Amino acid sequence: MSKNKDVELKNFFIFNSLYGPKEGEELKKILYYYPISDNADVQIKNVGLVEGIIQFTGTFKPSTPVNSLHTQKMRQLYFQPEKNMWIVLTLTLPTEVKGKDSSTQIEYLEDDVQDNVYEAVLKQAYYTYRLFWGTFEHTIENHDVGTLKTRLESFYKAYLKTLKLGHADILNVFHGIQYLPLDKLTFLKVQCFINSLECEYPEIAYTAFLYNDHLIWSGFEPKDMKIVYQYLIGTLLPANMEAELQGGSMPRNSVSPFAALHHGRFITGPTNLKTAKNVGKIPKVYLFASGKAESYNLVVYRALSASVCLFMRADKELSLQYFKDMDEFISPKLTAIVSDISEYCSKQVITPSNVPENAPRFIYFNKLNLAYKSTAHLDNKQTGNIACTKESLKIMADLNNKRSLLGHSSETIVKTMNDYWVVAKNSNSREFYVALQQKNASLIDISEEIKKLCDTELKGIFFHPL
Amino acid sequence: MSSNLEVEPGAASESVLVTTDSFDNFDHMSSSLEEIKNLNALAENDSNVENSNVENFDEISENLSINNEEDDFVQSKEWACKNKHVFVLSMAGKPIYSRYGNEDKLAWLFGVMQTLVSFVQSNEDTIRSIHAGDTKFVFLIKKPLILVAVSRTQESVNQLCSQLNYVFNQIASVLTLTRLNKIYEQRQNYDLRRLLAGVERLIDHLLDFSEKEPSFTLGAVQCLSLASSVRDNISSAIVGACSKIKNLVFAILLANNKLITLVRMKKYCLHPADLHLIFNLVQASESLKTAESWTPLCLPRFDASGFLYGHVSYLAEDCQACLLLLTVERDVFFALSEAKQRIVEKLRRSNCLEAINESLSAKEETCIVAGFPELRHYLYKCKSTAQFYQPSLTPPYTKYNERLTKLYKRAHNLLHCSTRPLKLLFEKNSDEAILAWDTRGFELYVVFEPLIDTNSAINSVGRLLNWIKKREEKLFHLNAPTF
Repeated sequence: MSKNKDVELKNFFIFNSLYGPKEGEELKKILYYYPISDNADVQIKNVGLVEGIIQFTGTFKPSTPVNSLHTQKMRQLYFQPEKNMWIVLTLTLPTEVKGKDSSTQIEYLEDDVQDNVYEAVLKQAYYTYRLFWGTFEHTIENHDVGTLKTRLESFYKAYLKTLKLGHADILNVFHGIQYLPLDKLTFLKVQCFINSLECEYPEIAYTAFLYNDHLIWSGFEPKDMKIVYQYLIGTLLPANMEAELQGGSMPRNSVSPFAALHHGRFITGPTNLKTAKNVGKIPKVYLFASGKAESYNLVVYRALSASVCLFMRADKELSLQYFKDMDEFISPKLTAIVSDISEYCSKQVITPSNVPENAPRFIYFNKLNLAYKSTAHLDNKQTGNIACTKESLKIMADLNNKRSLLGHSSETIVKTMNDYWVVAKNSNSREFYVALQQKNASLIDISEEIKKLCDTELKGIFFHPL
Repeated sequence: MSSNLEVEPGAASESVLVTTDSFDNFDHMSSSLEEIKNLNALAENDSNVENSNVENFDEISENLSINNEEDDFVQSKEWACKNKHVFVLSMAGKPIYSRYGNEDKLAWLFGVMQTLVSFVQSNEDTIRSIHAGDTKFVFLIKKPLILVAVSRTQESVNQLCSQLNYVFNQIASVLTLTRLNKIYEQRQNYDLRRLLAGVERLIDHLLDFSEKEPSFTLGAVQCLSLASSVRDNISSAIVGACSKIKNLVFAILLANNKLITLVRMKKYCLHPADLHLIFNLVQASESLKTAESWTPLCLPRFDASGFLYGHVSYLAEDCQACLLLLTVERDVFFALSEAKQRIVEKLRRSNCLEAINESLSAKEETCIVAGFPELRHYLYKCKSTAQFYQPSLTPPYTKYNERLTKLYKRAHNLLHCSTRPLKLLFEKNSDEAILAWDTRGFELYVVFEPLIDTNSAINSVGRLLNWIKKREEKLFHLNAPTF
């Protein structure tokens, strides 16, 4: 009976006003437009509104270009990643049907769509494109506008389908990386392995080492890493996990774990070295942290739960033999390391599912290395698999949004109408959010609880005493 | 903490003020005027009401000199970077009011705003707000007007909307909503500024006022501290002098932005939003101090369709409290003038004028004097009577009053978020700590020293509530006297 609707994508478009300055040429401004079911008139009208808003707001010299438009029924978010280039994401607001059968009323839930969350979604859409194709300007300079349009079309057609708008939350705002803390010895082994690999193959510019969804080592800027990380754990690795589970290249029926030491394979490049005739598909990626775009071939090698991502200088020709050699080099070393890591992890890791039901759930984020940890989310696939209420996550995002007004260190405790609590701590570029479902607790109890939690979970991390 | 819930200082069974959420849309306008008139079987001719003009407003607007200086100003960075712009325009895009700069010079801008509104409307949608970095653009469409705020003040969209609502009400209070609608029904292109000469000054003042005064954020009024016997004496003096005068709806005595007493006709209540407009009128009109005046006044929440007529005067040279006698009769100035004289005499005899003066010259106690050294400031609002109390400012807020206002507004906004309201907020940073608490009976916002720990904060709040409870008769207007 419930006709409540979740947030939905209404349209998504990219335009440059300089491309069609004359009347009648407005369509030329549009570089990409989704959905195609909107006819040219609608497209031109929508772009026109955005242009009007950009101009109108510019009159008042705000601190940044326009971010968003709120109307009764929809939300529009703006991002200007490059000069004169605008990306626009329009969402229809979620609705709730209020009242009884006779007099139902549709209510649009404006506050349920949080600007900071969806702004992050929009930005990620651009940065992911840029990872594979470089900047818009780059394509126009090296090719032409037509090529840019084709690239945008093929990229976003697929990308927009993967958006999980309904489950976007504060983690999108952080856009962080989950690290795997290791003991010194194991970490040193990983480090040694990477060093010897990079020595042996000087074509490798950077290396990143992941175990499951967790990053252990990355040799390049976190700013770039977070985009690569999102791509790896959001797209590339899950696709390969599926292949593995369906009995792909993993030797599933090996007699003994020691019998088949050759576990690894490339998941970009020649994925099956025995049958490969050529090097296969190797994605080209662009990294930007150095200030200008630099392109690399992204080769990912996976063994058991570990993934080694190699950023190879683009000018180096890669042959099949090269991959075969590298496989010989990596496989035995990596297999040994992975078993060390998994042994260490099995002693340490508590999976979120065996934490008691009403234990406090927290999210930690460090802006400096982009590390995050969440016990409020049961996986990191953005499927809405969460261990606290959706509302708590929204309150966390509210508090995150207000953070800048509070200075460099603060603590906020709030109690909701349903009598649960949300706490936000912020200090030294680190943020810590906790959701507590303790109905009859007092403010004093909650303060105590938070102190305890900080002592156990944030040992060694300095929070300004407040 | 829960034990404190039973203490609800300032609560009364009957309230002089209508109590509602401060953010509700002012769409619901009652039609009390008709009722009162019918009740008294007075065959007033309604068409006359519409003809009444604003010429009674004593000050004529300054000459709108249009010169080059103006031109430069509206294009200057200084103009663009004002903290809060407010614009009012008609649905057709005609300029009506701009807080800064001459409207005529900004005609193009009004045009753009109107276009944005109608563009979004063409999709059967309504524009609410635009966000750009530190600046919020808030649109309020109240037919037949469009109101826009462009603000860098960190106030929330709801808070800005409520200020725009006040501006709309201020305009309606001069013209009546009925007349406003009729004007635009007849001529869409009408230049409303012709009728609003002098009102700009009221709107200017209202905006300054609503930015600073916590009463607007809270949707409540503060009372002048008076011993309950004095307040009762004053009320009964007013009742005594006015009970014979028919159709007198409200008698309001106020001083220094604080309510002294409000006597009302049975069955009718005043909404705090209307009372804020009255406070604004009194504050903004210096001329009221010099002479008795007679002014038509529409109170939009009370009845947006017609005027009340107000006899406005200060009590005496030696007592700067302002008395407003509001009636539905348009020609009883002299009767009310006499009544006022009787009231003043009575108050003088019973030493009430002295008591008022004494309270006016004595500041409210600061937190330190009241025995709460760990507290810097607080706001206490009793919901059932729509009244609030605040102590005097102490450093650092004597110097940084704006910061305190921001702090309260932010806490108020978090507590009253429409889909995720909160019961309690305790926020600490390096500058201060604030505890905001919304219960069924009251709202409390307490600002502490930054290093306070939770236990002592809770402790202080409990003691504070008891402290207010003990003084409630003095701090609040608890009786709701009627004629």
